[in-house]
Amino acid sequence: MMSGQDIDQMEVMNFQKLAHELLPGGASFESCIACGLCASGCPASGFYGMDPRRFIRMAMLGLNEELSRTPWVWTCTQCKRCQYVCPMSIDVSVLVAAARSNWPKAKVPKGIMRSCDAQLRDVSTSAMGVRSEDFVEIVEETAEELRGSDRRFADIKVPVDKKGAEFIINQNSREPAAEPEELAPLWKIFDYVGADWTYASKGWAAENFCMFTGDDELWKQMVKTRVDAINELGCKTWINTECGHSFYTIWKGVERFGLKADFEAGSLVSYYAKWIREGKLPVNSDWNRDNLKFTLQDPCQLVRKSIGDPVADDLRFVARTLVGEDNFIDMQPGGNANYCCGGGGGFLQAGMSEQRRAYGRRKFDQIATTKADYVLTPCHNCHSQMEDLGEFYGGQYRVVHFWTLICLSLGILGPDERKYLGPDLAGIGLET
Amino acid sequence: MKRELRRVETGLAIIGAGLAGFAASIFALRRGLDTAQLGHTGAIAYTTGYFDLLGVMDGRVLDEPWAGLDALREAEPAHPFARLGNDEIREAFEIFTDAISDMGIAYSKPGDHNLSALLPSGVAKPTLSVPATMLPGVEAFRTGAKTLIVDFPGLQGFSATEFKVNFAASWPALSVCRIEFPGFEGQQLYPEVLARSLEAPHGREPLAEKIRAVLDGAEYVGLPAVLGMHAPDEVHADMERRIGARLFEIPTIPPAVPGIRLREMFERELPRRGLVLVPQLKVSRSELGADGAVHHLQGPLEDLEISARATLLATGRFLSGGLYADQAGLRETLLGLPVVQPSGRDNWYRRDYLDPRGHQLNRAGLETDAQFRPLDAAGAPVNPRLFAAGAVLAHQDWVRQRCGAGLAIAAAYGAVKAAAEMLNGSA
Repeated sequence: MMSGQDIDQMEVMNFQKLAHELLPGGASFESCIACGLCASGCPASGFYGMDPRRFIRMAMLGLNEELSRTPWVWTCTQCKRCQYVCPMSIDVSVLVAAARSNWPKAKVPKGIMRSCDAQLRDVSTSAMGVRSEDFVEIVEETAEELRGSDRRFADIKVPVDKKGAEFIINQNSREPAAEPEELAPLWKIFDYVGADWTYASKGWAAENFCMFTGDDELWKQMVKTRVDAINELGCKTWINTECGHSFYTIWKGVERFGLKADFEAGSLVSYYAKWIREGKLPVNSDWNRDNLKFTLQDPCQLVRKSIGDPVADDLRFVARTLVGEDNFIDMQPGGNANYCCGGGGGFLQAGMSEQRRAYGRRKFDQIATTKADYVLTPCHNCHSQMEDLGEFYGGQYRVVHFWTLICLSLGILGPDERKYLGPDLAGIGLET
Repeated sequence: MKRELRRVETGLAIIGAGLAGFAASIFALRRGLDTAQLGHTGAIAYTTGYFDLLGVMDGRVLDEPWAGLDALREAEPAHPFARLGNDEIREAFEIFTDAISDMGIAYSKPGDHNLSALLPSGVAKPTLSVPATMLPGVEAFRTGAKTLIVDFPGLQGFSATEFKVNFAASWPALSVCRIEFPGFEGQQLYPEVLARSLEAPHGREPLAEKIRAVLDGAEYVGLPAVLGMHAPDEVHADMERRIGARLFEIPTIPPAVPGIRLREMFERELPRRGLVLVPQLKVSRSELGADGAVHHLQGPLEDLEISARATLLATGRFLSGGLYADQAGLRETLLGLPVVQPSGRDNWYRRDYLDPRGHQLNRAGLETDAQFRPLDAAGAPVNPRLFAAGAVLAHQDWVRQRCGAGLAIAAAYGAVKAAAEMLNGSA
């Protein structure tokens, strides 16, 4: 983080004015009765002597210098749980975003800024520096390997820039950059259901760390690159892959910046549920012979901040179908009321490990209470954070993608697509 | 990219997510009504967890609330309680507490007498039904048992010493101890955080061990209400076993655990029982018509349109947004219904805030008929398909009368019964 002298030189914002400008419909900052439900329910409460209640009270009292300079804004994951529990619907996260924008680029936590800078460098918009042409090559090579290694997928198509495809999907950079073998399960699912889909070579990356810098212009630039690429291909529906904030960043960006988007937005989770209901994905829990227990993390950006109950219900429907009704143990609280994992909002990349893990202790306790062997989540941030928490606090669970279990259940999960499965599941379906 | 519009058709729409709203949902589901409940969180998180029926009349603390209700009907014939008989109110209370116990938070059976339940400031209040995790405290106080009260540094609003000092005359066998809550040393504590940490099995033994060390022969141990969130009875039983003494919770000031427990339980359990629940959004606009009402809500990504053949307003008062006060007077926020209110602002309050006669403003609210239908200025039902329950009703002073839960539950029962009769008759 920055030194005290640097902080003193930062500009001072008028938070009371901002609060009035950013006032969401039906909410009133002035009607805060300081009950503290927000602070009580916020795992970032206490870091740097700050919490959501203090933030609002200090804004109303005009303590602008303190608010303009508190590093607490980088520990708030902007999960909007404060608004969810507030009887007055007060959303502290919008003020946090404004406060973040006040920080000079050089002072923004390096991990967030570096990721955003990488995104700005190439039309791929990849935070891990995977350039557009590299992505196309990685996809082609990985697809070729799949065709050669599994006869069932000898003819699998992995289209890039296919004009007029029904679905266009994005991809978190982690797979092409670090674990390309994890690309294949999703392709197999699309192949299984016979989906007409494509990647875009431009703007294919899902993540958006520019949004987390608080700089609206950078957020807009990212979204515009992606939206233009999708418009250009003329696809009907954009499906967001198993990644949380990438969904929020697009639809909210389109709305916030008044962009023209000639497509509809959907979550992959909703499509999993739809395809299972339609019988196109005939998954079941037969593979779970040892009745291993599974729980589920609701990504805030997908559930509370975007689709809400319908997708929370879909997540549970897919999970229950996959692992068996009795083997699914819901986290408490779940759905819209669930807690952020502590990795959101750029926290995972911000280099503040001590606070991030303290924040995540709430998540660790939630998981431990379920006694689950595995946590399912369709979000890479949640995934990494919960793995780290398990290691740090001595948890016995593993974190797994939906696509892994779907392919496992369908009997099409390849031997090298099992890195997130433990020894209890790694051999399932390979016994021949 | 366009906003989606989700349409839901239902028999009864209940607007409000407080005690009255959730009670109404329980009664409606029990009657087999197709039910949707809408509304952002209200004041439910502020409850002690105690369910009062009628605790005070004319400044007197009541031991017998049922006899009190009989007297109330005589003295205040316009009071919402006067619309129902004791047998109906008793049934409502029993259905409600049974349903909550079934859903995961055990409550004591409402009896013939009020209980003297403990408050964190070291006084007892009259109430009818309490969570099982708090019931041993009622017993300990009644018998004057040797009891250890534990508090935690950093937990604001709960002081074991304050509790002991104020109870000194009536409960001399109290002792106190302050211990660091394991794992949260040196931090500002919130009851919610502690409750969630005790929910995890690994969180319990370190605290139990510390309490055992200071027990000193106490028969009972009292803690601020932090014994779990989702499974309080299980946490309570486990901690009692580990500590080796009877254990009870004392409610704390907001933001407190008992209300969050109720809210999370309702949100989790009622949809499983068939309720369409939209707990995260406020109704922005409602249109009343001859065949029912249409309620509009705006989510982040979609608009919702709920068409209901009957509607029950359980929107609460000022804090929850059911009533709004401005320079000109009071108004009902959703449908602009007439509000019974003092003739001018000068008459809202008496000079002395603690005047035992109360304040006119507190008795303002919606006028209803015997079927809990809001009335227009001429005294006729505004709409035959519109009902109201809970604190939004006029002619009650639930704070002074200690009848908040009773009013919510009884009026919800009466309003749902009337709505069901109307719906079944018109179906």
